[in-house]
Amino acid sequence: MTNVAEGALDRARGLYENRGLRAKELAAQGKQVVGYLCCYTPAEFMTALDLVPYRIQGGVGKPLKQADQHLETIMCPYVRSCFDLAMGGEYDFLSGVVIPHTCDAMHRIYDIWKYHMKPPYSHCITVPHMTHRASFEYFQKELEDFQHSLERFVGRSASEEDLVRAIGLHNRCRALLRELYELRKQEPPLISGTEITWVLVAGMTIPVQEFNDLLEDIIAEVRGRKPSSDGRHRLLVVGSEVDDVAMIRLVEDCGASVVMDDLCTGSRSFWEDVDHAKGAVSGLAARYLGGITCPCTYREGKVPERFSYLGDYVRDWRIQGALLYTIRYCDTYQLDAPEIKGYLESLGLRVLYLEDDYVMPPLGQWKTRVEAFLETIESTKEE
Amino acid sequence: MAQETREKTSSRKSTESAGKIRTVVKRMYQQAQQAKEEKRKVAYCMVMCNYEEILEAMDIVQVYTENYAGLCAVKRQAEPYMDKARAEGYSDLLCGYTQVGIGFDALRHELGEMPPDAPDGGMPEPDVLLGCSMGCDPRWKWFQALGRYKDAPIYNIDVLMPPSDADMEAIKEHSVRYMAEELRGLIAFLEEQTGTEMDYDRLMAIVRQVEETRWWWREAYELRRAIPCPMSTQDHFVLFVPHHMMLTDSFTLDFYKGLYQELKERVDNGIGVIDDEKYRLLWGVGLPPWHTMSILDYFLNFGAVFAAETAYMIPEPFEIPPDASDPVQLIAERAFERNSALQWRGQKAGGVPPLAQAHLERIEDFSIDGVVMHITRSCRASTMGQILVRNVIREHYPKMPVMFMESDIVDLGTYSEAETKNRIDTFMEMVGAYKGSAG
Repeated sequence: MTNVAEGALDRARGLYENRGLRAKELAAQGKQVVGYLCCYTPAEFMTALDLVPYRIQGGVGKPLKQADQHLETIMCPYVRSCFDLAMGGEYDFLSGVVIPHTCDAMHRIYDIWKYHMKPPYSHCITVPHMTHRASFEYFQKELEDFQHSLERFVGRSASEEDLVRAIGLHNRCRALLRELYELRKQEPPLISGTEITWVLVAGMTIPVQEFNDLLEDIIAEVRGRKPSSDGRHRLLVVGSEVDDVAMIRLVEDCGASVVMDDLCTGSRSFWEDVDHAKGAVSGLAARYLGGITCPCTYREGKVPERFSYLGDYVRDWRIQGALLYTIRYCDTYQLDAPEIKGYLESLGLRVLYLEDDYVMPPLGQWKTRVEAFLETIESTKEE
Repeated sequence: MAQETREKTSSRKSTESAGKIRTVVKRMYQQAQQAKEEKRKVAYCMVMCNYEEILEAMDIVQVYTENYAGLCAVKRQAEPYMDKARAEGYSDLLCGYTQVGIGFDALRHELGEMPPDAPDGGMPEPDVLLGCSMGCDPRWKWFQALGRYKDAPIYNIDVLMPPSDADMEAIKEHSVRYMAEELRGLIAFLEEQTGTEMDYDRLMAIVRQVEETRWWWREAYELRRAIPCPMSTQDHFVLFVPHHMMLTDSFTLDFYKGLYQELKERVDNGIGVIDDEKYRLLWGVGLPPWHTMSILDYFLNFGAVFAAETAYMIPEPFEIPPDASDPVQLIAERAFERNSALQWRGQKAGGVPPLAQAHLERIEDFSIDGVVMHITRSCRASTMGQILVRNVIREHYPKMPVMFMESDIVDLGTYSEAETKNRIDTFMEMVGAYKGSAG
């Protein structure tokens, strides 16, 4: 078993560094790969129809080449980066694109993507912003519409059994990721934040069954580690898209450990399972609308209630400080940011608020801020 | 002096109807403040949420927070509120209206009273906060953020904007059902808050009045197809106020009837905004620069008149079925019909994105020679997609000049008058060449 598991993290890192490699292989073999944006897209429908879901990512460190000709500079920099890569041919292997209307940028990019990229298949899922009873009923209908749209594209239907099977595969994936996150609770964590990012990004680029196999190997490999305590500060990172290691590696190079996250590319995308007991599509609607804690979905209640799950993370992962990361021009996150910061501070945590344009993080400037931040945690501990 | 000019030239830059709006706005805030003193329920609202008739039927006073931010910008009194929002931790890139609104309420919370010198006496303290998802994200996130300063209950509703390529027949039933359920949820919430039950007969009567109001505004607006154009965009950006903020008031119905009569008289007598109308422009998507509306007058120097807009558009026509009996269902159906109309027409036109479709229709219907769009730093919803619109316009009108003006809806910080005028100079040269080549 040990031999089988050996090198699993290296494989994840390889997939991280050569994104799209496996998907391109599959496309060359005749598989249809469908790209999607945002963790609100239920990939289960694609899996059920033997399509390969591929989460479209941006390119941190890759200056935009063509996006400025087509997208306004005040648009979400992450979306601009994804689009720029697509315009540059990075996603030519995709047979289609699915974009949920979850925020203003996602809403607008759908028409623009279609107009310029002319994908063979495209679909926009309207995701309610509210979570009233009627919102779930509506979303279920929207997901049925999405299913029919995919079925027309592939020319065959997905049965309830197909969907349940796909849900089973994706739930297994979620369970494995949660198991891996459990290993971050240890002191010191058995896997670093940088390594976790490799794993998460790798998983966005390969079929779910392959990712599950990889995760099992990674867990076995990581469990075999026996690190000694190094006294590093344990940090939580809160924000939206982080599909590059730059920021997290910087923090870890400064002497801290990122041990937990609330990111749409991280825990937010897999924390809740799909319960299909009342029907597959009904379960998917409940999970994707009710189980993702993105600021783009309105949830009633005041601050402690809305962010109590962060309090659970802080307690269970023994968090000592938090990084709050927002991407410029993200209205929904920037409207929540002061309250998230206040909530985390109310738990006794120091919070470092970082904002950038996604593409070119100011790592030099951040290094100074992170070092100072870690010193403040240290001084708080000494007090 | 202005009156003399009108008589000499036979052109009239501004309508008499537009001249009444400032007084109307002042009165509106006075009435809202008085209503609060009289213990009537006051709601913070967002325009175009489809709940205006419901609030009126329940005697709830409507205060439109985005528009108050616009008023602060017009009066150049937005800055202290924006500064306060930023001091509270909000990004300076956040929606400008939201910055002003949050800053205003944060300041009131801190002072324990209305901020001194608040424009038009300020917004009264709300009893409920009612946002919706129509238009953009801050229109429901904003009120959630106000939870830091208020205990007033929040009720947000979804108002759907169907995707451009959706099969409207397939999604209509569940979309309308959802809208109706959202409205019924809101009514139940308001009944609980006010302790009174909805009067559905009254609601139906208000819906009918509102659609009549809109009919008159649309009829008046259509008169701007005339050459010379009888009304400017400068007027449009004040004449929308009764519709957006006092929609259910009987005054508003009379107001748009009066506007129609005024514009009809102008058209019948060949009276335009300026003497020699050389060029007709479209104010494309992008909310106007409220802080410096006078820049729009600069176009007049070139003989250019904005004959149409795609900002603050009049809602699409909607005919109330004769057998309609459930006003909530009716409002839900109306919302779907209106919010999917451009998508329908765009699909029929071969897959034109709805935002671009709105522009192509205006260009054709109002004999447009050039398009100006406003890239607003803090308003993403009205800015994203402008380049796409320009690209589609170029497909249909390859040589039509399109100008991007850059500033903000509220924040003066990024605005340069000299640079803007330079851009306008260049643009108008291109419009002149385009019109000349078109014969």
